[in-house]
Amino acid sequence: MTAAAGVPTTARPLPVEHVPRPIPWRLLRLEMRRNTMLWMVPVAIVLFWYHTYRQCMAQPPMWNLRAMTMQHGVLLDFVPPVVGAAAWMGWRDRRRRMTDLVATTAKPRLAAQLVTWAATTIWAMLAYLCCVGVMYAVVADQVAWGGPLWWPAAVGAAGITAMSAVGFAAGSIFPSRFTTPLVTVGVFFALGFSSQGAHNASSPWQISPQLAFPADIGPDPGMATFYHYLPDLSIAQVMLLAGLAVAALSVLGLPADSGGRWLRRSAAVLTAAGVVAAVTAVDLAGTGRTGPHGMVIIPALHDAANDRPIRYQPVCSRTAVPVCLNPAYAVYLPAVTAALAPLLGEVAGLPGGPARISQTAPIYSQGPGIGIGISVGSPSPGGNPSVSGSRTVSLILPGQLPGQQGTSSAQFATEVRSIAPAIVDMVIIGGPVGQDRVPGGSAAQQAVAAALLKDAGLQLTGPVQSGQPTRIPDNAVPGPAPGTPEYVAALRFAALSAAVRHAWLVTHLAALRAGQISLAQVP
Amino acid sequence: MNVEIADLTRRFDRTMAVAGVSLETGPGVFGLLGPNGAGKTTLLRAMATVIAPTSGTLRLLDRDPGQYGQRRDIRRRLGYLPQNLGYYPSFTVAEFVEYFALLKDMPAARVPAAVAAAVERVDLGSRAKAKLRTLSGGMLRRVGIAQAIVNSPELLLFDEPTAGLDPEQRVHFRGLLRELGQRATVVVSTHLVEDVGAACAEVALMDTGRIVFHGTPGELIACGEGTTAAGDAPLERGYSAVLAGARS
Repeated sequence: MTAAAGVPTTARPLPVEHVPRPIPWRLLRLEMRRNTMLWMVPVAIVLFWYHTYRQCMAQPPMWNLRAMTMQHGVLLDFVPPVVGAAAWMGWRDRRRRMTDLVATTAKPRLAAQLVTWAATTIWAMLAYLCCVGVMYAVVADQVAWGGPLWWPAAVGAAGITAMSAVGFAAGSIFPSRFTTPLVTVGVFFALGFSSQGAHNASSPWQISPQLAFPADIGPDPGMATFYHYLPDLSIAQVMLLAGLAVAALSVLGLPADSGGRWLRRSAAVLTAAGVVAAVTAVDLAGTGRTGPHGMVIIPALHDAANDRPIRYQPVCSRTAVPVCLNPAYAVYLPAVTAALAPLLGEVAGLPGGPARISQTAPIYSQGPGIGIGISVGSPSPGGNPSVSGSRTVSLILPGQLPGQQGTSSAQFATEVRSIAPAIVDMVIIGGPVGQDRVPGGSAAQQAVAAALLKDAGLQLTGPVQSGQPTRIPDNAVPGPAPGTPEYVAALRFAALSAAVRHAWLVTHLAALRAGQISLAQVP
Repeated sequence: MNVEIADLTRRFDRTMAVAGVSLETGPGVFGLLGPNGAGKTTLLRAMATVIAPTSGTLRLLDRDPGQYGQRRDIRRRLGYLPQNLGYYPSFTVAEFVEYFALLKDMPAARVPAAVAAAVERVDLGSRAKAKLRTLSGGMLRRVGIAQAIVNSPELLLFDEPTAGLDPEQRVHFRGLLRELGQRATVVVSTHLVEDVGAACAEVALMDTGRIVFHGTPGELIACGEGTTAAGDAPLERGYSAVLAGARS
């Protein structure tokens, strides 16, 4: 110690910084440099990689599926490191026996605490942005079409902020060695269970920041592909998380030693505003419903402009009857084309046959309870493809794409082939009947249709009796009962080569449609 | 007067830690002596605006610490070294001192130079970049002193500042006290009477929450002359004699 001027000292003088910076930034820089969250960043990244990243990458390469899956998992990954570090930093002064010393400084206690919290949150946010940025970059490299969905990322960012605020407030208000583990485990389970309470889009539990989709649908490829991503639910979730963050941080300003009267009054107002925002958000989520585009519509937050379909240039196969898909599904075009190839090869060029198979948006409708119907053009359940007057057959692709939740390519192909009855009916009868079809028309029409469906890879079951409990295989359609003359004729016709059948159809299709062909005339 | 205390009491539940203390002091080094549990630390914590008095009046630097705005004003001009100094182990010496300079609302432009000067004054310039967890107890005490003086305070409160310092550092610290006392009010709470004798112009002796002696070190020495009070040094004998008189 230098007792007085003139006392020699051997210590080197400290370098003096020449460019002074504003005090909050200098404090923040100090706090960031020595923040516990810095050590938790690798933990957060590893958890994200192990859980959410791998789960996202296992999804088909589509922005909607991967972004929604990301929102579903990322907050759980970040709870342990972020809440833990924030709670740990929250009771740092008590743990380090610094409360007296810090209490004698001029800066309001709340301001100093907010700087510490901000430093913790900035590291957490950087880790989060790093994880999401890398994941989005990889996804961008893999997807065929579309752009990143920012709302799920925004909900995650708001969640990180809220978790950090809750952890920090808990550590500050209840300074104890048990606070960090207790609040971490508590937030983890609260978040995890929050999504379990939601069973449809009208549930207030739908507010859970883990849910980017109606709870009874799950992440579906049809969402946010044909229509813009609806931000209604995300806005409510951000509102809840922002409210929680503001309330948790403002509570720190309520004690008498946190600052002056003005500051404490402001803190009280902000605490109340945060609570009101959070409660309002939950209330709003309870008014939600599943929209026709499969996403949650919250009337008070809904912008009708988002209901407009996205314009896109479909990708089409170079086949006699082109199969055209939304470009987001481009990677599945070969699989869809291959699944329909046998049938389309037979009906191509036939008068009145399909000119094009075109994928259209599925329409979702909320059934009673947790039932969801998916259809084309009408809200009737069953997934019937429809045929437009322009000889274009509308197709909706299955909700489970190959690789998604264990769906195999064979299962996907079977699902795609469910459009075959509509195509056959269009050719043979001249109109759509659909999957729930009751075979109609003349006996010859039934036999030829059954033969074509069999050749397309579908099984024929007998006619379905009403009220009879039967289990129909996925790749089966109703047809003539075995042993009937129609069935025998169908087997006979199906046994012919594709070229012979096609040639016969070219010649006899008009007569067949007109009902002028008898069973005996079917080759 | 930089410190004006009138009939100040501070109660913790049923314990009266400070029982009607009145004091006035201006610039210079003021020694607060007393046995363990006399109430010195509580009085210092009240003067440091950590705790509010239960009753009585307290004015510091001509301001009322009961008013938030004035309390902030006092804190900008205050340096405090608590008895049990905590620290952030991962901070370096310079960072720790800078942290408190910033919390004390020092003008940003002055902070770097003030930190460098404060660290130099406690002879830790060569360890400025050392993490606090690597320092010895005496060095940590000096870091505590550096953070207390970094804002060139007008009122300095040291609670047992020489605890853990080696004899050479204690001598240096007394010199620093004298230097600081030339323009600020320095209140030093200690039970090491030699610190008081060497550095303080004025001294008060506390026992069971009351001030039982207030005067100069010379007057305290005089209290022990001609008595059989215990002590190896004149100041110690005066200390013992006053305490014995107060308790009899």
